[in-house]
Amino acid sequence: MTSTLPVAAPAGPGQSPGPGGRRPFGKSVLARVRPWMLLTPALLVLAVLLLWPLVRVALFSLQDYGLKEIVSGERNWIGFANFVEIFTSEQLWAVVLPNTVVFAVLSVACTVVFGTAVAVLLASLGRVWRTIVSSAIMAAWAMPAVTGTYVWVWIFDADRGVFNHVLQALGLQDAPVNWFTDRWSFYAIVLLNVVHHGFPFVAITVLAGLLGVPKELLEAAEIDGAGAWRRFFAVIVPQLKQIFAVVIILSTIWDFKIFAQVYLMPGGAGSNRDVLNLGVWSYTESFGQNRYGFGSAIAVLLTLLLLGITVVYVRTILKEEEL
Amino acid sequence: MSTATGTDRRPVRTSTAGGTAARRRGSRRPSAGVRVGKGVAVALLLLFTLFPAYWMLVSALDGNAGRGSSFVPAEPTLEHFEFVLTDGGFDVFLRNSLLVALTTVLISSLLALLASVAVARFRFKLRTQVLMLVLVVQMVPLEALVIPLFVQVRNLELLGTLTGLIVVYVALALPFGIWMLRGFVAAVPVELEEAAYLDGATWGRMFRSILLPLVAPGLVATSIFGFITAWNEFVFAMTLLGGETQNYTVAIGLRSFFGQHSNDWGAIMAASTVITVPVMVFFILVQRRLASGLTSGAVKG
Amino acid sequence: MRRDMWTRKNVGAVATAALVALGVAACGSGSDGSDGGDGTVDGEGKTLDVWIMQGTNPSADTFFDEVSTAFKEETGADLNVEFVEWADAHDRFVTSIAGNATPDVAETGTTWTPELADAGALAPLDDFVAEAGLGDDLVDGLVEAGTYDEQLYGMPWYAGVRSLVYNTEIFEKAGVEPPTTWAEIESAAEAIKAEFPDKTAIAVPGDAEFTVYPWVWGAGGDVATQDGDTWTSGLDSPEAQEGLSFWTGLAKDGYSSAGATTWRETDVLDAFAQGDVGMAVMGSWTPGAIVEANKDMEGKFAAVPIPGKDGGMSPSVLGGSHLSMFSTAEDQDLAFAFIEMMTTGDFATKWGEQAGYFPGQKSLLDETLKSTDPLVAPFAKQFVEGGASVPVSPEFGAVQAKLTTSTMMQSILSGSEDVPTASTKAAEEMTSLLNGGS
Repeated sequence: MTSTLPVAAPAGPGQSPGPGGRRPFGKSVLARVRPWMLLTPALLVLAVLLLWPLVRVALFSLQDYGLKEIVSGERNWIGFANFVEIFTSEQLWAVVLPNTVVFAVLSVACTVVFGTAVAVLLASLGRVWRTIVSSAIMAAWAMPAVTGTYVWVWIFDADRGVFNHVLQALGLQDAPVNWFTDRWSFYAIVLLNVVHHGFPFVAITVLAGLLGVPKELLEAAEIDGAGAWRRFFAVIVPQLKQIFAVVIILSTIWDFKIFAQVYLMPGGAGSNRDVLNLGVWSYTESFGQNRYGFGSAIAVLLTLLLLGITVVYVRTILKEEEL
Repeated sequence: MSTATGTDRRPVRTSTAGGTAARRRGSRRPSAGVRVGKGVAVALLLLFTLFPAYWMLVSALDGNAGRGSSFVPAEPTLEHFEFVLTDGGFDVFLRNSLLVALTTVLISSLLALLASVAVARFRFKLRTQVLMLVLVVQMVPLEALVIPLFVQVRNLELLGTLTGLIVVYVALALPFGIWMLRGFVAAVPVELEEAAYLDGATWGRMFRSILLPLVAPGLVATSIFGFITAWNEFVFAMTLLGGETQNYTVAIGLRSFFGQHSNDWGAIMAASTVITVPVMVFFILVQRRLASGLTSGAVKG
Repeated sequence: MRRDMWTRKNVGAVATAALVALGVAACGSGSDGSDGGDGTVDGEGKTLDVWIMQGTNPSADTFFDEVSTAFKEETGADLNVEFVEWADAHDRFVTSIAGNATPDVAETGTTWTPELADAGALAPLDDFVAEAGLGDDLVDGLVEAGTYDEQLYGMPWYAGVRSLVYNTEIFEKAGVEPPTTWAEIESAAEAIKAEFPDKTAIAVPGDAEFTVYPWVWGAGGDVATQDGDTWTSGLDSPEAQEGLSFWTGLAKDGYSSAGATTWRETDVLDAFAQGDVGMAVMGSWTPGAIVEANKDMEGKFAAVPIPGKDGGMSPSVLGGSHLSMFSTAEDQDLAFAFIEMMTTGDFATKWGEQAGYFPGQKSLLDETLKSTDPLVAPFAKQFVEGGASVPVSPEFGAVQAKLTTSTMMQSILSGSEDVPTASTKAAEEMTSLLNGGS
């Protein structure tokens, strides 16, 4: 086996030729059934526990589905009225959608860029420091979102938080500031929280990819006189295309539907209307107002939005056959 | 395989080791500036990553927590921890969570690996659709699924049980696992597989001895994700477990702790520390595996 | 998830009442619960599932052990009590209804009762109450809150009220007396701020609607009024705006704190317990919690009814819980036997004492009202003479969940809107929600 290694080198991620067709040993029927045998357990779990509930959410979104309907089990179809209401809502266009989209774009960008930078830094470190730093990163990742959110809230607490104390000690502000009331500072804290919790995944994943980049390619590039930046963009990035695609797609999905990190912040549960996002809006309409149909419609909208973005991603980053 | 990992272990780090190392080092110009810059970057990074955890710990150890902020505990004490572990009931919660999380990790990793091999290694009808479906199911905001999922678990007669929770968490962790592992599986050179077949290995044997070791880093990421999911989730834990407090996991335990001691920052931070530490330990253990997984991944080079 | 807040530490509306007339039942079934002698309720081999909100009574475990024993003795049935977090309760109710897994009896916050009744999830209690002969002794306000569509769905259990709690040490050092008018509140706050620039003279929380309404009522305004089937919010009336201006003006003048803009009542409690707050609107159930949070506070705080504008009292919301029977209860007689046991006699008294709430029985309540305890008497006075109810409507839960009032408070306190703008918006939203809009 070892003898084949050098030969194998060029087969980087994303270049796998889809061996289903190429495998020389395919015994036709078995070969056709095998993927499904492999998929069945996972698909079964997903179908029962995510897909069917998802379908039901979609059905709820077409009904006036409230506590009464839950109690009686009746259907109350109203067509697309929920969606019409969402799209004619001033709140959607002025507050909720911008909050969701702008925040997601920023946080995906920050998470991916920062995570990648950290990965590059890690790859250049010695063994000892790499272990130390990556353990620290793991610690950031390990902190549960709920706990993490409370810690950040505690740090930025207006009257007793360390952040205000430090600012005042440095003479940068005279009186304590409540950072949770303003839309921008509120989301700045959320961004900090989300990036802090999200970048380790990117860093570790990209690091894994980086270490897998064939050295020969880098060497060849270096001999050709490519600088560090050029080597990174011309050699590493294409090699890691698949990994970046996954990282970006998953980060996008997560950052679009952040919930706890907003909901648990002071004012985040709805009393500060300026900071609502789609996830929190859906939840408060459902469980607060008992308008499960309307809340489900918001959830469906969020899903469709994500779906659209993902399709665009997939089209631009990957060619279909690379999926 | 084993020889490959053995010899490649060290070189990965500098990625320039071996016979040509000296030449390369020369051309690398590791100036003092670069080294200082790197040092500063590492320091800032450590500060950013560790500060919240540090602050959590300081507050947890400070008998005076909540009064003010000092960078070392003003009144060092362990009473918050004592309180959390005795009255808080976190010993039981920890055991439950550990069981749930580890089982979730095992099952979801296995199912995800099988599925990812299918989508990465085989071309079949509906393959793209399956992949998109897997992606789509995790786009729905989880909070919207509370009611239908509750009904579903009730139909499975798993309400109030840890099994019910595990099944749900497996479902939550699967899509990520499949997508993650897919990339790793796809990155394994087909030539390796073919070589195995040439040596007369069956598909199953090839899977065990070639694929499995090579996708180990992906499995690590998948396990971490599954572990975090199972460890942190509380909305479903709350609705699905209901009153079975003996089955509570740490996340819902912490949540009910928040409910009862809403502004006792010292105790809350102690409880947070108690539930964060096992995750860190798990991660650091897994991370070793990650390191060796990464080096075996290096055979590609 | 949010109604949580109010019910437990905040709101509620009404409280409880008591059922007194044990054993006077006119006709046979199920009434003389206390001795169980006539055997009309036979729960042998049955189990009654009950949800009780957690955190109201620190000794709830022991309390319900005793209740279980007594209940078993009386009816032969087992009691399965499950404690539910206020924060989770609404989600739990909804999912259990959807999944057909409701309890037989549950504690419901007073503003939830009409909502659940409206949805058809609860069973009416009138017949049971009549049979048990309890009707006459139920406290009116509580009955009102538990009544939907002219039927009683929530059996009054316990109630509390908010008054003005102050830190006696701070008051002494600042040389001020407990205020009796709004002007005195302001001058007291000024004096405290002068003496203790780092402390919060008076807490004006932004996310605690029940600390807001007293000032609206105190200035002669209304939260909302009903005319026929139509509700109209009065938050934007000149009187209400005057009250709001006074209350938020205290913060504008720097007597509150920056953090208070996003405080909930629990944050107020916390800050007060740390000795950082001069005065605050807090509930009758908080003194125990204050001392529990910080033993040093023992004996260092007292309460007065919330002052009226020019003397007298500003009305304050009565808050509390009902016990409700779900329509899915298999044995309704058994369920009511439990409700009766909890809301009358010794268990009702004991619960009130342990939890710091007012008991529901009129006779027991009278006893409490005679108390001279400085941390009971002012609340009792407020309870009897200055109690008020939020709009009794199944839709009021939606107003609370929408955080209409908190939104208004936060935008005023953060300076993004002035009182007229914010209160007009809030009034529009509340009116629309109360009339079933969205």
